[in-house]
Formats: sequence, C-alpha cells, structure tokens
Amino acid sequence: MKYMIGASVAALLSMGSIAHAEDVTITIWSLDDENQPAMNLAQEFSDMDNGITVDYRMIQFDDVVTESMRAFATGQAPDIIAVDNPEHALFAARGAFLDVTDMVAASDEIVAENYFSGPLNSVTWDERLYGVPKATNTIALYYNVDMFKAAGLDPDAPPATWDDLVAAARTLNDPDNSVYGIAFSAKASEEGTFQFLPWAQMSGGGYDHINTEGAVHALDTWKTLLDEGLASPDTLTRGQWDSTGTFNSGNAAMVISGPWELNRMVDEAQFEWRVALLPVPEEGAPRASAMGDFNWAIFANTDHPQEAFQALEYFASQDDRLFPEFGQLPARSDIELPPTGVAPKDAALQVFLEQLQYAQARGPHPEWPKISKAIQDAIQLALTGQMTSVDALNQAQASIDAILAE
Amino acid sequence: MKRIRSSIIDGVGFDLVLVGIPLVFLLLFSGLPLVYNVLMSFQEVDLFSLGEVFRPFVGLKNYRALFAQPEFWPIMWNTVIFVFCSIGGQFIVGFGLAVFFNTGFRGSTFIRGLFLVSWVMPGLVVGATWNWILAGDFGVLNYLLSSIGVISENIFWRSDINYSLWAVIITNIWLGTAFNMILLSVGLAGIPKDLYEAASLDGATAFQKFWTITVPMMRSTTGAVISLGLIFTLQQFDLFAAITGGGPANSSNVAQYWAWELSFRQYDFARGATISTIMIAVVMVASVFYVRSTRHEVRG
Repeated sequence: MKYMIGASVAALLSMGSIAHAEDVTITIWSLDDENQPAMNLAQEFSDMDNGITVDYRMIQFDDVVTESMRAFATGQAPDIIAVDNPEHALFAARGAFLDVTDMVAASDEIVAENYFSGPLNSVTWDERLYGVPKATNTIALYYNVDMFKAAGLDPDAPPATWDDLVAAARTLNDPDNSVYGIAFSAKASEEGTFQFLPWAQMSGGGYDHINTEGAVHALDTWKTLLDEGLASPDTLTRGQWDSTGTFNSGNAAMVISGPWELNRMVDEAQFEWRVALLPVPEEGAPRASAMGDFNWAIFANTDHPQEAFQALEYFASQDDRLFPEFGQLPARSDIELPPTGVAPKDAALQVFLEQLQYAQARGPHPEWPKISKAIQDAIQLALTGQMTSVDALNQAQASIDAILAE
Repeated sequence: MKRIRSSIIDGVGFDLVLVGIPLVFLLLFSGLPLVYNVLMSFQEVDLFSLGEVFRPFVGLKNYRALFAQPEFWPIMWNTVIFVFCSIGGQFIVGFGLAVFFNTGFRGSTFIRGLFLVSWVMPGLVVGATWNWILAGDFGVLNYLLSSIGVISENIFWRSDINYSLWAVIITNIWLGTAFNMILLSVGLAGIPKDLYEAASLDGATAFQKFWTITVPMMRSTTGAVISLGLIFTLQQFDLFAAITGGGPANSSNVAQYWAWELSFRQYDFARGATISTIMIAVVMVASVFYVRSTRHEVRG
C-alpha cells in the first residue's frame, strides 16, 4: 500500500515521465519544515530519476527521540532520521543506528576530514561513524557597539577573558535605564548545559569532570553576574532566544548566543552590534564553545541501506546551499560561505566560523540527558544560592560518576 | 436460552448489560493504562523496551531510587502546597463571585458567562500571557504593585525561588476560578427560595442566612467542586511548562511535571511511572474520603 502511494506520487511528480515500477521508497523523519533544508532536499532527491522515492515526515522537536524509539522498538522505524546531536549516542551506542564508516570511506561526496571535529565527534561512537552531521552552530559573544562607546569601552577590543567580561558588564550595567551588562541563559534545560559546558571546557573541565577548579571558577563568575545584578534574575528561567530578545531591544549590552539570531538581529536591533569569540579564563587559555544542531543517521534495521546512504550523499553534496538558502551553517570547513551583503552579518559569520573550530560535542554519551540534568541542577542550585558552586558541582560530579559507572 | 434472552430484554440481565457496557469501557480505556503504569513502576524500562509489556522485574528498586533523590520530598511538598492553595484560592474566589452574581443584578448572567472565557483558554496560552504579566523587569504585575506602593523592588516571580511556585499558583487560581464559580452558581440556584423567606420572617441577618442556609445546602456541591479541583490541579501541567519549567532549582516543580520530566526529558520511563503510581494512590485515598463524605446525602 505504502509502496503504491509512493509510486503514484512519483508518477505525479515526474509529470509524464514513466514511473519506475521498481522504485524503492525510503522514509525520512526530520523536524524541518518547508523553509528549512531537509524537506526541500528530500523532495529534490525524490524527484530525481534514480529509482528512489522519499516519504518525508515532519516531526516535532520534543517528539524526535520518543517517537523514533517507539517506532524502532516496534519495527516501524524510518530509514533516515535527523536527530539532535547530544542524543545521537543514545541510539548509536545501542546499535539502533547503522554503522556507516565503510560507506563513508568509499564515498566521494561525504569525506570525514572535511567536517569540523565537534560535529564529527557527535556522530562517532567507539571510533565508528553512525551518521553524518546535518548542520552546525555554536555560541559567541554579541555586543552593542553604541553602548561600548557611550561607556568609554573600546569596541575594537571586546572582552577577551572572564575578568574582562565581568568588568565590562559592570561598566555597561545601567539599572536606571533598564540596561543589564549581559544576558545569557542558565535555564534548567539543555540550553543551560549548552551555555555552561564551554566555560567548564575552557578551564580544563568537561562533562565527565565537572567539578574542576576552573569549572567552579566559571560557575562563580556566573554567580557574580547574577548577584551583582549584571544579568537579569530571569536568566535562570529564560532560554537563549528570549534572552537575546532583551539585547535586541537595548536592555542588555552583551549577550551570549548563536548564529540563529543573526537574521532577527539584523531586523530588530536599532544599534551597531558585533560578535566576538567567547572570552577565555585567562589570556592564552584554550578556547572552547558549544556545538549545536542536528545529525543525519540511518536506522540499523532499514531494508534499503544503500539507497538511504545515497540520500545522505545527496544532502551532503548540497551543503553549500545551506547558508545562502536556509541560513544554516554547514558542519564543514571546506565550504566557503558567500557574503550576504549585510556587513554586520558577514563580519559575525567569520567570527562564528572561527568559533566553530573550537566547538565541542556534548558527550557523546548514551546517557547524555541524565548527565546534562546533573549539570543543570548544579548551575541552578549554585545560582539560587542554595549551595556553593563547589558543593553543587561536587554533587553533580557524584551523579555523573554514578551514571558513567553504570 | 429463552430465559436468558427474556432476562436481557426485561429483567436482571438488562441491568447487568447497562452496568457492564460502561464497566468494560472503563476497564479497557482507563483500567488497562493504569495497570500498565503500575506494572512499569516495578520494571526496568528503557527506550529500547518501550514496545514490550513484560520487562525485567526489579521489585521496589524504582521506588527506593526515587525516594533517595534529594529533590523528592521538596517536590512532594511543593505539590501539596500547589494543590491546597490552588483549590483554596479557586474555591474562595469562585464562591464569592457566585454569591455576588446570584444577587441577580442587571446583566449578571451575561457577565457570569463572560468569566468562562478564562476557563476556555488553553493552558499554554494562559501560561504565555501570565509570563508577560509576571515578567520581572517589565511585568505589569510588578508595575501595578510598585505604583500602589506594595513593593519597592521588582519581584522576579518566575526566577526567585521564594516566588516561583506562587507564580504558578496565582495563574492557576485565575484559570480555575471561573469553573468553580459556574458549578457553585448552579448549586446556589438549587437552594429553594422559601428557606430564605422563612428565615427573613424569623429576623435572620444576611450573615446568618449565609451561614445556616447557604453553606449547609451547598455541601454536596462543595464536595464535588473540591474533588474536581483536586483532579484538575493534579493534572495541571501546561502552566508549569509555560511559566517556570519547574525551576529555578526545582523550587516550583511538582509531582506531575517531574513525572513528565523524568519520562520524556531523561527518558527514565520507570521512574516517571513510579511517580504517577504514587499520585494514583493519593487520588484514590482522596476519592474514598469524597465518596464517604457525600454518600449519606439525599440529593434532589
């Protein structure tokens, strides 16, 4: 039945050309809508005269994992799925995703060396590849140049270290005019982990050793920003999108967020803004940043692994269109992003591209959601003053050790 | 055969069929999921065994693990505060409004109908609206409170651990008051007018009439409203998702939201089911009290 529908759709789409009776139908699940890459690329691939028809289903962000797991458990999984990168290992470690290492090695379109290390790491489990990065993003520091000038700060020398950042926030903070020094997100969700983990990584920590001296210093720095009123108390419950909204409206002088904000900022911000790399603990310290966005993967129980991989190859071959057409960053270092003609956006992109080289995957670990929760709890307990940063991070470390030992 | 047939058409069999149809329906669509949920709380469940019914049995391990979590008792306490204060607030405000509209002034029925708008709105929409009202830096509520001099500094309703639970309670009271009012209005309308007339002839004051006629006559309605309130507040999920997300630091987290978080954020379905099972037990105890307290009453 499904095959019949697939065939008749293909017949309709090819408008007169003879539909192949032997057409193979592959199913793709992704959260992309008609303005985003996956849906369009899947349609194009389906329309090609290659004997493969694509049955595309759009799923909601919140349902990706549970829907696909349920489908996998009952043998009805799609052939291809787009999954959020920290959740990739959850599937890969349990053998739910197809090992594509050998296919990639033989492929001309997908060359592992072309990908940034962060995204590539997120599709890797036990040194094998279980997918292909779909797109990527990271976070950096946006700042309001007009406010920098008004406060006597040099906009050509944005804060480079954590101390600089706190000092700049103090200088820029202007409660009488409802301006906070900085905005970021410490929400008790994946967003909080996404924003905090790079700080821990820059100072020598990581998800598996979160109670390092550097991570404690990082959390104390966040606490200083909140305790001194340099960031809104709503930082604790507000996501990155809403936090950046306060920057755009001129109620925060700096904000830590990602390239997904660029288009909105171009539209909304009535001031000059620029982007700088995330400040580091002290001069010369290693850089790090968060790594976001989705990966492609093929389910292990697919009947058509070759055809599914062909689809991924087609998607990868179109990676140079991701930015100009859909505003997303390809996860590859070998693709030049064409200038958009909007000066602040183009300048910002160069910073984000540099920052991407330092972007690190969350995990990868099959129990990532629990590890992330432990980190979120520590952030919130420390920032609300219920525990010191040391105690909170020690508690998180104990939970994470228990998870890693399982 | 014939006796069975005639019994079904006209006799005990007919009564059994009438009782049986809803019973089967209930067992199938409410009983089975409940049993399945209880079963899950005694099993080891992960994402890969979601499609199975018989999974490794682990006894009380999920319960012990849950009780051992440091946030368990604070969250349970939050749930008690949330349920108690929400029901109390909804009932008192709802009762006040019902008595007010029952005086029957011009346009009272029309305005009373308008109140239902709050009940009709989806929880997520209500939550988003109250998010703006409760916002710390630019919220209307803070503006209002500071312009009448109640507060001198902005209250961060959603982000201050001392207020976050109250932010959701206030919103929930607003959301549920109209429903309480309508149910209580129906109860008020059912009190015979001659009781009040007789009391007036005996020289009773308005307060005496309220206390000795209205309140006792409203007993069964009150019981129904409060038990429905218990069900609705224990089901209240949207407001938490929209306003505080249970945060900061679990200060506004309640059992029902936690169950969802465990199941669908951390994919720990067994612990999520364990919380649900505990909630089922609580609601069953509450419903026993409700049935016992109302069964001696004659309605009509």
